[in-house]
Amino acid sequence: MATTKPRILPLTKRGLNFEMLMWLFTRLTALAMYGLILIAIIGALIMGARTQMNLADVLRWGFMPNSSHVQSTEVPDLAPWSTPFWKITASVLLLIAVAHGVHGLVVIADDYIVSSRGRNIARIISIIMVIAFSAMGLYILWTS
Amino acid sequence: MQVTLKVFRYNPEADKSFRYEIYTLEAEETDRILDLLEKVKGYNDGTLSFRRSCAHGVCGSDAMRINGRNMLACKALVRDVGDKITVEPLLGLKVVKDLIVDMEPFFDNYKKILPYFINDSPLPADGKERLQSPEERARFDETTKCILCAACTTSCPSFWASDQYYGPAALVTAHRFIFDSRDEAASERMHIIAETDGLARCHTAYNCTLACPREIPITKAIGELKMATITGKVE
Repeated sequence: MATTKPRILPLTKRGLNFEMLMWLFTRLTALAMYGLILIAIIGALIMGARTQMNLADVLRWGFMPNSSHVQSTEVPDLAPWSTPFWKITASVLLLIAVAHGVHGLVVIADDYIVSSRGRNIARIISIIMVIAFSAMGLYILWTS
Repeated sequence: MQVTLKVFRYNPEADKSFRYEIYTLEAEETDRILDLLEKVKGYNDGTLSFRRSCAHGVCGSDAMRINGRNMLACKALVRDVGDKITVEPLLGLKVVKDLIVDMEPFFDNYKKILPYFINDSPLPADGKERLQSPEERARFDETTKCILCAACTTSCPSFWASDQYYGPAALVTAHRFIFDSRDEAASERMHIIAETDGLARCHTAYNCTLACPREIPITKAIGELKMATITGKVE
């Protein structure tokens, strides 16, 4: 009679390379972005968005909870909308969105760029893009 | 009933470019597309070229695009595809002549994943078979059904972009051996398919699952391989 033995490959023997870690990262960050957007929308409703903002403004805030996004609404006081909590939430959303999006571009580029030199160039450009977009975004979020 | 059969034609020795020939044929609605092609070859134009062997959906020779979808010509019936039928070669592989494509890139990718049983352990004490429970066998049953017709791989947008991508058929075969409790090269294969031209090129378009004439849930199998790289579970 055959016996069933557990077959779990050790960490170093399962092909878990940077490529597959980024595959997992992309899935987890997609879920995280949904969560952060939901937190921002619920937060906006708690802070009075139901009567002071229209749907488009609430969604704009939800996708990037930066206080400059509520300046043109009927919100009387911007202070609750520009606390460190919201700045940190927006910063986390920015960082994971940039990494998620740029990695998506690299994955699509890899479909069409097959030489190792071309792929290396695409990766260098993507790293520069991540650093530049993140730095610009963080500068705007923390100085506006 | 009368059917209009529009066939992709290309002879590299005579044609500068491909063309379509249209044939009007008498057919039964239970006729297979392969029957129509045989009729054209037998009665209209003996130079029409296409692959076929068993003609019963087992050998996988006659995969082609029928009305834009990858199918086996020996399994597709006239009543399933209608009376206006367009037959073209598989996409993503170079056309050799008419409906025949060069399968070399497909088989080169297939060979990369070591498509054979590997077990260097001594035989069991009784010197007989390496036993396996019905549950262990059922784990990879679906992926044993692949007939290497290439319908899945040539329906995949990632493969159209680059034939360096191993493709669904190779990954299905990797699944078949990696999840086989008797095989001992799971780790080696996992490292091969985790390369840039392996699992990462699958964007879950599901074209392969729709195209497979053996109804193998290919995208699901590839998903299980991706999860196996994370969890290490190959059971």
